[in-house]
Amino acid sequence: MGIMVKLNLIVGGIGGQGIITLGKMITSACEKEGLKVLVSEMHGLAQRGGAVNIHVRIGDVYAPTIPLGGADCIMGLETNEALRNLSYANNKTLIILNELSIRPVLPGIIPKKVEEVEKLLSGYRVVKVNLKEISEKIGDKRVINSAILGFAYGLNVFPMISESSFIETMRGENNVKSFYMGMRIAHDFIRN
Amino acid sequence: MIVMRKRILLGNEAIAFGALASGVGIAAGYPGTPSSEIIETIMKYGDNVYAEWSTNEKVALETAYGAAIMGGKALATMKHVGMNVAADALMSSSYTGVDGSLVVVSADDPSMWSSQSEQDNRYYGLFALIPVIEPYDPQSAHELIVKAFDLSFSVKHPVIFRTTTRISHVRAPVELLDSSPPVKGKFHKDPGRFSLVPEVARKDRKLQLQRWEKIKMEVEKLNEIEGDGNKLIIASGIAYAFVKEAVENLGVRAKILKLSTPVPIPKEKTLKAMEDVEEILIVEELDPIVEMQVKELIVDNDVNLKVRGKSLIGREGELTLDRVTSAIGEFFNVKIEKLREVTVDVLPRPPALCPGCPHRSSFIDLKKALALAGVKDVYFSGDIGCYSIGVLPPFNEQDSLIEMGGSLGVANGVYRSTGVIPVAIIGDSTFFHAGLPGLANAVFNKTPMLILVLDNRVTAMTGQQRSPSKDISIAKVANGLGIEYVSEFDPFDYTSIKEIKNAMDWVRKNGKPAVVIAKRACALEVLDSVNGDLPIAEVDENKCTGCTICYDHFTCPAIVPLPNKKAKIDLDQCIGCGACVPICPFKAITIKGEQPKGWESWLS
Repeated sequence: MGIMVKLNLIVGGIGGQGIITLGKMITSACEKEGLKVLVSEMHGLAQRGGAVNIHVRIGDVYAPTIPLGGADCIMGLETNEALRNLSYANNKTLIILNELSIRPVLPGIIPKKVEEVEKLLSGYRVVKVNLKEISEKIGDKRVINSAILGFAYGLNVFPMISESSFIETMRGENNVKSFYMGMRIAHDFIRN
Repeated sequence: MIVMRKRILLGNEAIAFGALASGVGIAAGYPGTPSSEIIETIMKYGDNVYAEWSTNEKVALETAYGAAIMGGKALATMKHVGMNVAADALMSSSYTGVDGSLVVVSADDPSMWSSQSEQDNRYYGLFALIPVIEPYDPQSAHELIVKAFDLSFSVKHPVIFRTTTRISHVRAPVELLDSSPPVKGKFHKDPGRFSLVPEVARKDRKLQLQRWEKIKMEVEKLNEIEGDGNKLIIASGIAYAFVKEAVENLGVRAKILKLSTPVPIPKEKTLKAMEDVEEILIVEELDPIVEMQVKELIVDNDVNLKVRGKSLIGREGELTLDRVTSAIGEFFNVKIEKLREVTVDVLPRPPALCPGCPHRSSFIDLKKALALAGVKDVYFSGDIGCYSIGVLPPFNEQDSLIEMGGSLGVANGVYRSTGVIPVAIIGDSTFFHAGLPGLANAVFNKTPMLILVLDNRVTAMTGQQRSPSKDISIAKVANGLGIEYVSEFDPFDYTSIKEIKNAMDWVRKNGKPAVVIAKRACALEVLDSVNGDLPIAEVDENKCTGCTICYDHFTCPAIVPLPNKKAKIDLDQCIGCGACVPICPFKAITIKGEQPKGWESWLS
């Protein structure tokens, strides 16, 4: 008898990008579905700009963190931050890259460009999405987390959660719009 | 108590709601990661519960202790290192006991996500003879804090409730218990028990040991044996979550002793769990607290069993499923394929001072002022707060940062052993937390040092909790303590360089301490108070020479370099604070847009 894990998801990004909120959106959707979920957050420091990640585990799980090589999906709200969590990937892991490379606030350190990260990830299943295009269309820079959730939803990362459970947890029209926009981009991607 | 429906809660919220279900009447704490949300939640949801942010953990514990002396149900919360500050009161509380309940939450931080050490506070239980209860997830935290209050109330003894980052900062579904009416105290006195002069202390010591015997019995029922088999795994606190999952994944048959009380371990239940067992594995995070006690128990009872623990699990950092699976695999002789960490070259991305952070300007001003004063050798004696980031380049202005309030005492020592005049850098909340005795010492012992207080009006690092600086003027405090040279400045104002230089000149001339206070609110606090569109910085490309000062030496995250080295404003990050305007030697940066309502809170 093994533990029934339904989803092991890691979201990496930069403090201030709304990762904790993204984690709350997933937990609320799971709450609606009556699913057990554990989201481990690193929000020790209130400052912006540092590397932040969350471990999301859905299913009959106990441990709060995902084992190495154990992630079904890794989302990087910034490409270098997806790379940081690569130890959790295996050859089946879906890696979603936001086409964004941000330099750290340390002098003289150059981040890897999206293409460079992609090259390093050549042995993995990688899908790219440009969240900034979505947020610019909506005119609200805060919606990138609902956009990437919609995109992942469109790629069937969350088969255990219904669309309505996600939508009901979204605060405000812009988040709903960006969720659907992300989902449509994913559907287009699958079709092509 | 009626069980309400499940809600998704942060572990710390689960602890707070558990305290409310226990009838907590008085709660006090000092913010510190990962403990801060407990008091915040009680403040938000505790009807008729007195909750406060105290000036430090010692005062918080004393507040709860005093309330429990009066018979109230009291809670004190702190991060693990905060307990060192509160330890004096903690030790005495074990001697006197209490009349109500006294539960002390210690939020430990294995792996040091935001702490200077990963000290295992279960040692305090052994040290002070105070029982330690530790949960393994938010649900058990919610239920066990109720047991902690019950145990404290029935034995009239303090109880340590130990949580960790991976419980406090995990969101999970929790079945909530209903709140109980808050229990406050009744005014009464008992100096024969609570005034610890030697005669009373000696009497209390005997009573403390008697209570400890009772506690040993009481904790039996808080622990459980699960499953059977000839191999026993003893798992304490969060280790249980990892053990449970690893055992099921490996499909091995194990008897598990699930411990909620690592101090003291339940002797009877542990001996019972050892029956028909050939080997024991103890899984616990950090130090061998349970292991030491189990080994003692085995020796005392002539049990002949092989015990393994730290030799397989290791002593450092948070447990992971990989570590626990590998240890259990070895214990059961199951071969485990070891996954190695993938080594990719990833850039460092430490936390940074936010756009608009006044500390950035203070660090720049301080450096310029010391250069202007002709100071060559200087020691930056740092402290704990957002400004600890000053340890990083380009600032490099935290030569040591040891513990809360340590900047002043360490600076004194540096001066006494080298004769080099140091600069002590301390935040407003830290100043009131443990900086005051160090400042008094500098006056009392005439230490030539410059003290730079970074007053951003809140306890910023832990989420902008209220700081005493809102109500008490640091300048007046410094004056009152006998500091002869005190000045305040706005770090966004260019004249601040001169203010700091003058103070340093004065220290060198007079051989006494001087205090300069950089007063400007935390940018996140301001953003919370403003209403309307923010102004924004603009770079005049014709004036910008690509000198790199604004992004490589000032390092505001909202200023980024263009391929031609000229500066560009990141519109997503810029808040229009204007701190960069005086930094540009070519006057290429200006601020556009109206100041929104509430903008004056920068200088509140």
